[in-house]
Amino acid sequence: MDAQQTIKQQVTSNPVVLYMKGTPHFPQCGFSAMAVQILRACGVEEFFSVNVLDEPEIRNGVKEYANWPTIPQLYVNGEFVGGSDIMREMYESGELQKVLAKQAA
Amino acid sequence: MVHPEEIQRYIEQGLACEHVRVAGDGHHFEAVVVSAEFRGKSRVQQHQLVYRALGDRMREEIHALAMQTFTPEDWAAANR
Repeated sequence: MDAQQTIKQQVTSNPVVLYMKGTPHFPQCGFSAMAVQILRACGVEEFFSVNVLDEPEIRNGVKEYANWPTIPQLYVNGEFVGGSDIMREMYESGELQKVLAKQAA
Repeated sequence: MVHPEEIQRYIEQGLACEHVRVAGDGHHFEAVVVSAEFRGKSRVQQHQLVYRALGDRMREEIHALAMQTFTPEDWAAANR
């Protein structure tokens, strides 16, 4: 499987997927740390995360997949939601909680 | 090292903007971009337009760019 197929499989077989630098317990970038905090603030404790620092092919592939040049990237139900700026804006407006509540229901 | 003014110029050259402001210390940057091009687009699409304007010029530094995008209407409402 190439990187694009792997990513497609990951985002479609898990309701919430975060591509990040480091792990949820040990993020290695401030933006990735913020993304994890926002998910937890929305009540999402369990999510599928990929540490792109361990997977260079995924790290490059995910930028192409969503036509988005930065990490972290959040996917819900297979849809690209955004990076950390968008996650923060959506969290502050309450939109992200709604998007995430749908997948939990 | 990249200067905030350079990033601001790249964005202005690549996208018709009403207002662009980029601040930063050479390592981390914050951009506020107001453009009529953002009308009717999702936030993801708005940010993609800015990334496209930057092109390959910030491939290395772009991860350090935080961004807020506004349509002229949203910007006027936010500053009222």
